[in-house]
Amino acid sequence: MVVKWVLHWQPSAGAQVTSQTLVDLFRSIESMNGVRTGRWQITAAQHRPFTRDQAMAIDCAKELLGVAFSEFASKHYFVLRAERMVVEADSSIQAIMEKLQVYRNRLSMVFEGFQYQLGDFQLKAGRAVLSQAENLRGIVLEFAQVEYSPVSSIEKTRQMMQEFVDLWQEAISAQSMSGRISLLEPNFAEYALSDTYTWQHTALQYIFLFAYFLSQSQRA
Amino acid sequence: MECVVQGIIEAQHVEALDVLLQGLCEGQREAVKTHEICLKSKPISSFADSRALESLETGTVASELHLLCDLSKRPHIWTVKHIGGAMRGTGAEQLPALVRNIVESKMSNNALRFFYAVGYKMDYELLRDGFAYRFQRAFPITVTVTSVCRLPKQHSIDEATPVTPNIQLVEVTAPATADNFSDVVPAISSFAEHLSPLVNLSKPGSFAGIVSTASTAAASLLSRSDRLEHRV
Repeated sequence: MVVKWVLHWQPSAGAQVTSQTLVDLFRSIESMNGVRTGRWQITAAQHRPFTRDQAMAIDCAKELLGVAFSEFASKHYFVLRAERMVVEADSSIQAIMEKLQVYRNRLSMVFEGFQYQLGDFQLKAGRAVLSQAENLRGIVLEFAQVEYSPVSSIEKTRQMMQEFVDLWQEAISAQSMSGRISLLEPNFAEYALSDTYTWQHTALQYIFLFAYFLSQSQRA
Repeated sequence: MECVVQGIIEAQHVEALDVLLQGLCEGQREAVKTHEICLKSKPISSFADSRALESLETGTVASELHLLCDLSKRPHIWTVKHIGGAMRGTGAEQLPALVRNIVESKMSNNALRFFYAVGYKMDYELLRDGFAYRFQRAFPITVTVTSVCRLPKQHSIDEATPVTPNIQLVEVTAPATADNFSDVVPAISSFAEHLSPLVNLSKPGSFAGIVSTASTAAASLLSRSDRLEHRV
């Protein structure tokens, strides 16, 4: 699997993330001759243990995070941050967890937007919103080098990916946008993930972003 | 959902059963070596029983959660299986096979650690060692013949010993849905009839014992099989 970097829009001090920011980002991609190829959607969810009285309570992790990808709908991913664990399962695991009734869904966030082809790179740009609400929580940008000898090693691709980010940042600056694109890279090794990139790496990046956007909105 | 019948067979007749199953043709034989871990939830309070907890919460029959590691494949494949209660009611009791809800999911190899983290612990574990045949009839049917083995120490697969050295378990299962289980049950029963010279198959929990004439049937099957081999 090709390496993906999942970035987010970091507004400058005092600036806000708005729908216009996202439109401007789409324009920055199109200004680099990016061709829109479709839509994408990723859903992240936070689950908490069912509250029971003490006689019925179950000893379990206090937080369970889940993520599902529309482009890989047959799988579902769970992340337990305190336990430093990423789990991959068939999507039917959701039905099993529902039957076990250990956790309840506390809130969900939807990442959605447009996908672009830009030379050897595939880009996704979109918004993050809490389901049941339309307030924009953040802007997410994902890209991967998919053509011309794509590589699965995170370290071997680092320089090339950084060069692409720098190029994109120049295009953004040319549009006088007040902010920058920023990478929240999890420590994959802490989660027992190797240098060879997988969907579990992508799941962990989106979970980190989910947690980051939640913490930002709670601070606000 | 799935429909299930089970039976037991003496180990000395397993070879004959293997021949019989081959003879039913189109069946694909596969090795079975499955490490099965039965999980139960960890109540915080020592007074709470995990099964009672589920029953009280849902008002239903307690379900089971099993983690299966297929050791016959490399890399090992982990599957979690939620086995719901059997279908109830007068109609269900009259069915010759058990019909129960079942949901399965393949998982990454940290599945056991995951379930420990989300509130489960190992209740017991065992190793199933044997073979299986898959048949595609009107409905897909799987026949599994295994020796059920206990593990003397936690996860000690290499030290597993049969719970009943002279007896093996035969299971016939078929996936079903709420719309078609009434067709799947007779299909499984009809298939089970083919195996009746060697094994009595019935609903789990109501074993009909071993077939008294199995030795004769087995001898006949093996001798027919020998004669066919010589001709070839």
